[in-house]
Amino acid sequence: MSATEGFNRHGAHSYVAQFDETEREVLLNLVEQIIELLAERVDHGHEDPLAAMVGITSHDSPPEDEVLHRLLPNAYADDIDAAEFRRYTESTLRGKKQAHAMSIRMGLKSSPEGDIEVDHTGANDWLGGLNDIRLALGVRLKIENNNYEHLELLSPDDPLRGVYAVYTWLGWLQETLLTALMDEISE
Amino acid sequence: MAKLADALEEQIQAIFSSDTPWVTIVWDDPVNLQSYVTYVFMELFGYSKAKATELMLQVHNDGKAIVSTGSREEMEHDVARLHEYGLWATLQRGDQI
Repeated sequence: MSATEGFNRHGAHSYVAQFDETEREVLLNLVEQIIELLAERVDHGHEDPLAAMVGITSHDSPPEDEVLHRLLPNAYADDIDAAEFRRYTESTLRGKKQAHAMSIRMGLKSSPEGDIEVDHTGANDWLGGLNDIRLALGVRLKIENNNYEHLELLSPDDPLRGVYAVYTWLGWLQETLLTALMDEISE
Repeated sequence: MAKLADALEEQIQAIFSSDTPWVTIVWDDPVNLQSYVTYVFMELFGYSKAKATELMLQVHNDGKAIVSTGSREEMEHDVARLHEYGLWATLQRGDQI
């Protein structure tokens, strides 16, 4: 899947990538799944609308879904402090993560040819959004303690093999964007 | 007795004192790329590449690192920003590490 070069620097504060059709579709599919997953967590109308307006949610316990839990982790080891913090901040965090994913989605949607050009802020959206996808896939692939042995040994017809290939590709893609950004910083 | 009283007073003062420093801790995560963690430290905290790399390596090798220190409110802000970028961060009182 690494037919393209990933991200490259294109002048000052500009980063470009060219995705082929398959890559573009895979990326679109993944960001849409992240957007959907985060939306599932949105509160269901049973709360004070005024509280919702200022970002207070009814959620004070971590998500049961393992992936959502990794995307929206506890801020405190102590459960009571964690619950309090979550009540006041979780909806903001969800919104920011959705914004990263939406930024990627919009970029891909607006270029059927797969040409992406982002500035510094856009690059951060891509980094954060790609990272959320990798975190989500990492949970499903049970990536723990840098142990990839169980994944390297998957049989060719195991569906997780494809997921692992995408996970690896996303890591490579993220790395190309990081290299381009770091390259600019060190100048 | 005087010694005990001093210790007690110190404890009480620490409880009520608003300037007890809090810390933000980043925990090791097998998914986040080393270069990504370094970049996030530079971007969010304005750390030099050298300092950010040192902290990243501390997270990687020791399982965790204190990445910022300040008031509880400041640390809550830092943790929220680290969560936005998918780093696994928590905050706690600096004297309880």
